[in-house]
Amino acid sequence: MADKGYLPKEKIKEFVEALGKDAAVYAPSLEGDTIIFRQYTPDKEIALDRPANTPPKGAIYPQCETLLNFEFKKDQATPEKMDIELKTNLDFPKAFVFGGRPCDARGFTVIDRVFINPEASDPYYQKRRENTTIITKCCNGPYAGCFCVGVGGGPASKEGSDVVMTEVDGGYYMEAVTDKGKAVMSLPMVQDGASYEAKAKEANEKATAMVRNPFPADSVDKVSPELFDSADFWDKVIAKCVSCGACTFLCPTCYCFNITDELAIMTGERIRTWDSCMFQHFTLETSGHNPRPIKNKRFRNRVGHKFYYYPEKYENAIACTGCGRCIRYCPVSVDISEIVGYLKDPKADPAQWAAEKKDAKN
Amino acid sequence: MSTQKLKEIINKVLPDVEAVIAWQEGFDKLNVTPIFITSPEQVDKVVWNAACAQNLASYLPSQKKKVAVVVKGCDSRTIVQYMQEGLIDRNNVIIIGMPCKGIISKKKVQKAINNEPVEEITFTDDSIKVKTPSGEKTLAIKDVCPSKCATCQYPTPIISDQLAADAIQSDKPAGAVYADVAELEGKTLEERWAYFAKEFDKCIRCYACRNACPMCVCQDSCIAETRDPHWITQRLTFDEKLMFHMIHSLHLAGRCVECGECERVCPMEIPVAKLKKKINKEMKELFDYTPGVNPEDKPPMFVFNVDEAKIKEHKL
Amino acid sequence: MTGNHNPYLPELATVIKVIDETPNIKSFQVVFNDAEKMKNFTFEPGQVGQLSVFGVGESTFVINSPPTRMDYLQFSVMKAGEVTTALHGIYEGDIIGVRAPLGNWFPYDFMKGKNILFIGGGIGLAPLRTLILYMLDNRADYKDITIIYGSRTPPDLCYKDELKEWEERSDVNLILTVDNEFPGWDKRTGFVPTVLREEAPKPDNTIAITCGPPIMIKFVLEGLADLKFPDENIITTLEARMKCGIGLCGRCNLGHKYICKDGPVFSLKQLKELPSDE
Repeated sequence: MADKGYLPKEKIKEFVEALGKDAAVYAPSLEGDTIIFRQYTPDKEIALDRPANTPPKGAIYPQCETLLNFEFKKDQATPEKMDIELKTNLDFPKAFVFGGRPCDARGFTVIDRVFINPEASDPYYQKRRENTTIITKCCNGPYAGCFCVGVGGGPASKEGSDVVMTEVDGGYYMEAVTDKGKAVMSLPMVQDGASYEAKAKEANEKATAMVRNPFPADSVDKVSPELFDSADFWDKVIAKCVSCGACTFLCPTCYCFNITDELAIMTGERIRTWDSCMFQHFTLETSGHNPRPIKNKRFRNRVGHKFYYYPEKYENAIACTGCGRCIRYCPVSVDISEIVGYLKDPKADPAQWAAEKKDAKN
Repeated sequence: MSTQKLKEIINKVLPDVEAVIAWQEGFDKLNVTPIFITSPEQVDKVVWNAACAQNLASYLPSQKKKVAVVVKGCDSRTIVQYMQEGLIDRNNVIIIGMPCKGIISKKKVQKAINNEPVEEITFTDDSIKVKTPSGEKTLAIKDVCPSKCATCQYPTPIISDQLAADAIQSDKPAGAVYADVAELEGKTLEERWAYFAKEFDKCIRCYACRNACPMCVCQDSCIAETRDPHWITQRLTFDEKLMFHMIHSLHLAGRCVECGECERVCPMEIPVAKLKKKINKEMKELFDYTPGVNPEDKPPMFVFNVDEAKIKEHKL
Repeated sequence: MTGNHNPYLPELATVIKVIDETPNIKSFQVVFNDAEKMKNFTFEPGQVGQLSVFGVGESTFVINSPPTRMDYLQFSVMKAGEVTTALHGIYEGDIIGVRAPLGNWFPYDFMKGKNILFIGGGIGLAPLRTLILYMLDNRADYKDITIIYGSRTPPDLCYKDELKEWEERSDVNLILTVDNEFPGWDKRTGFVPTVLREEAPKPDNTIAITCGPPIMIKFVLEGLADLKFPDENIITTLEARMKCGIGLCGRCNLGHKYICKDGPVFSLKQLKELPSDE
């Protein structure tokens, strides 16, 4: 099995269909003007020229999945007694994620640290993750809002991928990163790629140099605790947020979820669905008490989780891959990189953000 | 230049208000973002150009103190509707009106430049020149504007305390406003069902459309998420998503000011405004009422007449 | 641990007894349907469980029976929302789901050889109960045990039978109070934080453990500070909206700690080191 290959563009469909022979393939699919990661079927048009609107997160961590089914059972002989039967299904097929970007693949590594751990793993995520091979397309350059190099990533980063592809000469140079990836390279339409390696490397370096790093060289590693705790700072930077959830649902690293029961008289299921820390009721308790009742607190928690709490727990790994989707799709263009830039500024000073008194001016 | 006059007006009203809500440059030249100005040093950041899409009026109901807000004609309809419904105190707002010839749809521009990052944009009266890593492209605003601009009836704010530029008359035929709805009406039920099934299949229930909507008042008590009463599940099937969108649209019956924010903010590019426009069209035919036009009006769903002019009920 | 390798899968358990503690609090004694699992079940005082009413949802409750008395697991439920209302409709013989034990537990080793001061209000006595009973079952390990417990009115006092027992014990100092005068109540009145100040316990070699309504905890902590209790000797248990119970769903966090997994038991010293949402 070679670990360097070349796939001509005209062979992409054939390649994806070969992968799909005994596995589910998730590929970016063009629907109107929108690119969405979908389970591939031959009628779909694969679009690789720009990042998909949605990350491929749903291929391994579905937006809605059943945790368990329950059935109430009655015995005619003892009508007052109701028995319950629980069923779970962890039978997930082999799968491929094809055509995501390095920021998407790194997103899975962020979720891995939380969902796969010795204390309590999520078996649904773990099983799917083990069964999935990730084939990533490196970026030719940045897109609106991108800043992967500022958070430890890059347009040609291999982290989290099993195979990486770089566009060269009417096709893609492919490189296996893991053993799982090597298996993919042995498909017949993948030619030998050694001769394209140098050109691909050059393209990768060129792309990396083009991506912006929103954090200046002198920015500190950790966020400023004083500014992080300043209510004036958060009031100012987040006044425009409308508290929807678009940023979280389009983020490759966001993983918060909700668990709800749905009943159909004698049967039902417990489902797990993506939730958003930006929603007002995310932490709302039955008593009516809400630790994060205002969007100021919720956004602080969101930024804190990605750039402060998660790194503290996981040896400085950042829970953001700089894909830029939250910036691109935010209804009011909130720029998380700008806000974190303020927090990492060595001259960060809460006093600068203190509410001005009108009569103190002019 | 209208930006200069706008900045002068903002400087003048700033001492009288808690904040002035306007637009400033966003993360790149194609994007603007709201700014809540509280000090004179910030005024220079204000921009006014065809990228100024956000409906700033939607911040008004949540403001606790007096503010000033810059609004386009379509945004001003929101303020008029708020006044009809008592959602704001008119005395607590200074309205700076910005007559507008049309804005650009970010999605249409990005499609025209193949989603490359925007390095520079020059705005003229009716076009934009966009510079990307692969070169420059000039686009006519009328080719990349959202559909609401192509049929705009209110280019000059309906209500304002000051105008930051000369008033503009509408040159768009009134009959065109619901042309896209009429097109769908002409299709069979199966075709329409298939159309919406395909579009809402993309919906990810992010609620950007709901939260960006200036007239949505349920907000955090939305049926999409409540358990008591338990209207819909959290599943992402068409029926669940359609239920949310239908109820949201019905809540806007006779209230939707057609600001188009819902469609602009949808990250999946679903034409969510069509449902609301259809209902608005019905309301207009039934009650001769257009939302957000006259502060003295009362929305038809707020009023009850025993005998409605156009509803033939059985004789009592 | 219940549920084998799938931490989301509850263990089916039958309710063997329902006790009406107060007008809005019921206690449920449950036994796993799988006898083997029940026999092998272990937990530490302070740990919690997620109770399922299938079709309605799950909610978190402390296991308020101690590991030294394992005929059943007891949970006390205040009727407040969707799941707790459904639980209040559960009768003896009904089957519910249990995911337990979750979370951390009271550092009872650290408390050995020390005086223990329990300060509880209302249903806040539930998590304290498990530790109180555990300590009473290991009485020699601990020095003086004082319990200050109060509720709004006498009917709102939990575990009334046990309170009587503790009152009669000579090796426990029980101080009961209700907020205001009440017909038929001839004992102490006054808010729990006020009674704490009146009793003015000495901080020397004493661990204070408190649980109750947030407003009570706030004033109790102020009182303990004024009485010079060091932060590492003040223990409390926290509450939050929970779903997964295993630190994955992201909602019950204080900084990078999750109340369901790294808590719910925290010392005041630990809490002060965490970024708060307040």
